[in-house]
Amino acid sequence: MGDSGGAWHLSCTVNGEPVEAEVDPRITLLTFLREHLLLTGTKGACLEGECGSCTVIVDGRPINSCLMLAGQAQGCSIQTIEGIGDDKKLHALQKHFIATGAAQCGYCTPGLIMAAKAMLDANPSPTEQEFTTAIEANICRCTGYESIRQAIRDAYREIHG
Amino acid sequence: MFYQPTDMAEALRLRAELGPEVVTVCGGTDVVVAMNHGVARPEAFLDLSRVAGRDSVERVNGIYLLGGGVTFAQMAKLPVRALAEAARSVGGPQIRNVGTIAGNLGTASPAGDGSVALLALDAEVELSHVERGSRWVRLEEFFLDYKRTALQPDELITRVRFPSDFESVWYKIGKRGAVNISIVCCAIGRSPAGAYRIALGSVGPVPMRAMEAEAVLNGDSTDAAHRAVAYLADEVIERAAEAAELEAAPIDDQRSSARYREAMCRVLVRRLLRELRDG
Amino acid sequence: MSGRAFGTQTPAAPPREKEHVLPTEAPITPSPFAEKVRGPVGRSCDKIDGVERVTGTKLYGADLIAREADLHAKVVRSEHAHAEVVSIDTKEALRVDGVLAVLTAEDVKGTNRHGLIRRDHPVLAKDRVRYRGDAVAIVVAKTEQAAAAGRDAVKVEYRVLPTVESIEQAMAPGAPHLQPGGNVMGGRRIRKGDADSALADSHVVVSETFRTQTVDHAFLDVEAGVARWDGELLTIRVSGQWVHEEARLVALALGLPVERVRIIQPAAGGAFGGREDISIQIYVGLAALRFAGKTVALRYDRAESMRARHKRHPMRIEYAMGADREGRLTAAKVAIYSDEGAYASTGIAVCRKMSSHATGPYRVPHVRVDVFGVHTNNNPTGAMRGFGATQIAIAYEGMMDRLAAKLGVDRVEFRRANLIRPGDAVTTGQVVPSPTAVECLEAVLRQYGSKSMPSEPLPTHLRRGWGVSVICFGMGYGDGFPDASRARVRIGADGCVEVYSGIVDVGQGAENVIAQVAAEEMGVGLEHTRVITADTHMTPESGSCSATRSTFFAGNAVRLAAGELKEKLLDAAGELLCVHPNELEFRGEEIRGRFDEGLCCSLGELVAAARKRGYELEAEALFKPRTICEDFETGQSPRAFITYMFGAHVSQVLVDVETGEVRVERHVACHDVGRAINPEAVRGQITGGVVQGIGMALMEEVVYRGGRILNPGFTDYILPTVRDVPPVECVVLESNDPLGPYGAKGVGEPPLIGAVPAVLSAIYDATGKAPATLPCNPERVWGMLTGS
Ligand SMILES: Cc1cc2nc3c(=O)[nH]c(=O)nc-3n(C[C@H](O)[C@H](O)[C@H](O)COP(=O)(O)OP(=O)(O)OC[C@H]3O[C@@H](n4cnc5c(N)ncnc54)[C@H](O)[C@@H]3O)c2cc1C
Ligand code: FES
Ligand code: FES
Repeated sequence: MGDSGGAWHLSCTVNGEPVEAEVDPRITLLTFLREHLLLTGTKGACLEGECGSCTVIVDGRPINSCLMLAGQAQGCSIQTIEGIGDDKKLHALQKHFIATGAAQCGYCTPGLIMAAKAMLDANPSPTEQEFTTAIEANICRCTGYESIRQAIRDAYREIHG
Repeated sequence: MFYQPTDMAEALRLRAELGPEVVTVCGGTDVVVAMNHGVARPEAFLDLSRVAGRDSVERVNGIYLLGGGVTFAQMAKLPVRALAEAARSVGGPQIRNVGTIAGNLGTASPAGDGSVALLALDAEVELSHVERGSRWVRLEEFFLDYKRTALQPDELITRVRFPSDFESVWYKIGKRGAVNISIVCCAIGRSPAGAYRIALGSVGPVPMRAMEAEAVLNGDSTDAAHRAVAYLADEVIERAAEAAELEAAPIDDQRSSARYREAMCRVLVRRLLRELRDG
Repeated sequence: MSGRAFGTQTPAAPPREKEHVLPTEAPITPSPFAEKVRGPVGRSCDKIDGVERVTGTKLYGADLIAREADLHAKVVRSEHAHAEVVSIDTKEALRVDGVLAVLTAEDVKGTNRHGLIRRDHPVLAKDRVRYRGDAVAIVVAKTEQAAAAGRDAVKVEYRVLPTVESIEQAMAPGAPHLQPGGNVMGGRRIRKGDADSALADSHVVVSETFRTQTVDHAFLDVEAGVARWDGELLTIRVSGQWVHEEARLVALALGLPVERVRIIQPAAGGAFGGREDISIQIYVGLAALRFAGKTVALRYDRAESMRARHKRHPMRIEYAMGADREGRLTAAKVAIYSDEGAYASTGIAVCRKMSSHATGPYRVPHVRVDVFGVHTNNNPTGAMRGFGATQIAIAYEGMMDRLAAKLGVDRVEFRRANLIRPGDAVTTGQVVPSPTAVECLEAVLRQYGSKSMPSEPLPTHLRRGWGVSVICFGMGYGDGFPDASRARVRIGADGCVEVYSGIVDVGQGAENVIAQVAAEEMGVGLEHTRVITADTHMTPESGSCSATRSTFFAGNAVRLAAGELKEKLLDAAGELLCVHPNELEFRGEEIRGRFDEGLCCSLGELVAAARKRGYELEAEALFKPRTICEDFETGQSPRAFITYMFGAHVSQVLVDVETGEVRVERHVACHDVGRAINPEAVRGQITGGVVQGIGMALMEEVVYRGGRILNPGFTDYILPTVRDVPPVECVVLESNDPLGPYGAKGVGEPPLIGAVPAVLSAIYDATGKAPATLPCNPERVWGMLTGS
């Protein structure tokens, strides 16, 4: 709450780790993640909410980090692609994105995986419509989408047995 | 500077104290786009995303009362067809999770889907000032001109209200199946008494009502019985649709020509009236 | 309402019951290679860097900036589509806090020009600007914000010249000349038989003028990268499509010997031809030269990317085609006017691709084609997936539908009767080795016919229809243009097979192809191979990643190099095991005696021993098949292209005849790819290409007014989302190309080419009106149907 001169103290949680930073609250969350925390897995491509490349999960909901101000992340819990799996242990979505060939150039991939993860986390039994809705605002210029939908369905089956 | 009040009284006080260079932001889906494009470089923000109660949804005595911070994701779940469908058509999940009704009204874009749906639902918007208190303004008086509204710089949009018993329908024409900006959009509401309200988007400087078309349907009679559903013969519908085409005042832009938009007003009004009639 | 057929109109209460979760089957026709699949070739191996791509650890240009940038550059661009530059005042900009330098044409020490075919594009314009993307100065600053503020503070005085907005204006008498030679940049022609007389004698003739739109590549990863000059070497890390050529262009423009320019490709987020022309390499290199020892960064935002980059050529295609009483094609007469924009780019090659593909996969005895490339003040136009073959396919397939209708014959039968068969020649007179157009058509129809059309009655405003297309595509540069690929294969210190190739992987999976080929050839597992690509100082030149040539060219070079390395290894093994090398052979990761099973050593043992004795465990090979330059009078060449690919599509659409909205309900694509080295990657190329094709057919369009792009961003440059496309049904038709690596041809471009005309054909079938102007967005379809 209240005023601040120039830099601001931002406290939030990123991938489960507390983050304390002095930042200009007027930069976007995308810039904060990429340039201050060097979490460059989250991509920017349009900076106008039209492509979903910058999708991260904030307090359980997928949002475009290019349209959220860093200050608006105050107190929030943020999850990025770096926080859900790594080369030692991939998240089911990551595994199936590889298996179905859903990542060609891979630029859209982190955003898509986060959009899909938010849906799978929130919805224990998605319909075919809901699988599609989850990624309807994520542009992929390479794959033609079906391998992506397939990867999400496969991940869902793996997670829910 | 970044102001982040947590209750509405504080927010209203800040809004009244701070100058217009401090930009009100809620979901940021319009404000931050403009900032990223370099169209606006706000020095300071008044962020409403933490205000308690901003996203409350109430239904009292046949009236829906929505907090200004109600998101499209929330509206998509309301059993108010035009509003829910309009909300579902906005952006994708990422936009719907943060974009708000106050932001939609605040931007006052002629293509604002939420605004068009609310216009057809006979909605009013509450504009509040820390000292002057609040005033309820009907949407047709709220939208003044292209991206200009009755909102004073020292006020905030706090709530929206509309009757809960309208039947309504909605349709948007765009160029694709999702994240679809409207080329033309139309919402029609029908009160329990059988009075029609027709709202059109992207066909004038502001979301507009098709008054002439409404007049065809509603006549000048106040007699509810006079406006029986049976009134909607195909021929009446066609006259209303034609009136809508004539009164729309769209422009040519990179999305579409005025001619197409006018023609689509007719198609959509016809189609939606039939849908209301045939259920 | 029953009419809610389109995506945004999701039902008020989405059904909660589980719908079918099974994917649409993507069938593969029985592979002639099925029994041969042993090693990695022919398998859908996972992407070799898949883990990095799905965990966000792969570094793209912008990621390098976030990590390494010391200084930032921004480009000052023209405010006018056509003007003389009177003066450039940098004083104000230099006063901006943090700005370190403003560079103009004076600071460019080389030719200050670039261009893939003609070096006609100034790096920094000195006296004249020809489109709004033309660069006039570069600002270097300590921060990106300062660089942007400096950019905005540079004052350029212009004397505005009249803007040439269109082909028609450019060709009108008295139009201002945009290039010294005039506005018609050049062109290509075909003279085969006597088209005029043959048309006059035809039973029916149909004419149409097609107009295609300007299309943007819209790869997601906008131009971004870094450069560093250490006093000796200028290292530029920007993704392109041909690192060696980029090094040459940078060196030439900036006045450096080419050995002192090193280009390293970071991960690229798509390309589609859009990284073929040089983008930021020269600018960021120029800025780096001024600040030795500093890493200088440059990135565009989406709007700058769209304003600066070349585009797909918009074209006006005037096509007349005739047929005889028996329904055989008699002649085609085609005039094509192609908007080249301000500079040449690869335009002349695109003109040739148009002329050489003018009649597609059909047998047409008499052909006359004239292609004119015309300069305007729009963005330069150049390579984009399909390279001219896309636009011309819209025209010839459009003609096939129209002619069939006029003859009153079935459009599929009509195609069948006229498709080239073994021994027939295409437009260039080249007799295509093993044409598979008919096979593709039959296969796509079989798949389409395997499901029945929905039978529910449609509301009156909706119409359903389906369309078909058959296309061909000549692979590689063709027409005698030097087309070569080198590769080096060696055994690394850890015993892994290392493959060095200059080819770039723009996301399509070129690295997988060469890894799979090398592993197959060396008989090792994929996990024991390592690929090193696209670094001018580490990898041999392999040509561009374009023209659907990467698999064929890089794959062949790798295969040859691996073969040579194997020979060297067998020599060494012979010495070690004291037998003649001919008596040994590779079996998986072992070398065994052909006759004596007891003779055996593992690859590991052999490598260790050979290394100890000083054997060179490395081989390099060159693959350079030849094509023959066309006769410039007639456009004929007996070997214009090394090989041809074929494809056929069926698209099914639903059209709202009141609003003009079109929705693709099904799309089936069949492509002859030669051998599918990685079937899943092949399907990925097909589905991705089809979706770009649907985008081009229905929604994508760069809109100009007075040379200004009105929609330079994704809000108004509309791309297909998941809601705009059905699951594409792919039929992969495998065949054996005698020259291809393991019989492979390639697959990158044809799927897009086939998709567009199939969608248009479906709209025709649904509405009875044949579209001739793209894209078929709601307004245009409505206009076509209502005559408005
Ligand atoms: C990709 C994308 C797709 C979109 N698609 C659609 C679409 O299909 N249909 C559509 O209608 N819109 C669409 N929009 C626009 C946008 O999402 C909506 O207008 C949204 O309602 C804005 O809400 P917000 O909370 O994000 O507004 P903000 O950006 O936070 O604010 C918007 C304006 O309202 C003012 N404001 C916000 N809250 C208040 C308040 N409480 N009191 C006074 N003023 C206030 C702000 O000062 C600003 O002027 C889209 C946007 C994007 C980026
Ligand atoms: S970069 Fe945020 S939506 Fe495109
Ligand atoms: S894989 Fe390239 S954009 Fe999706």
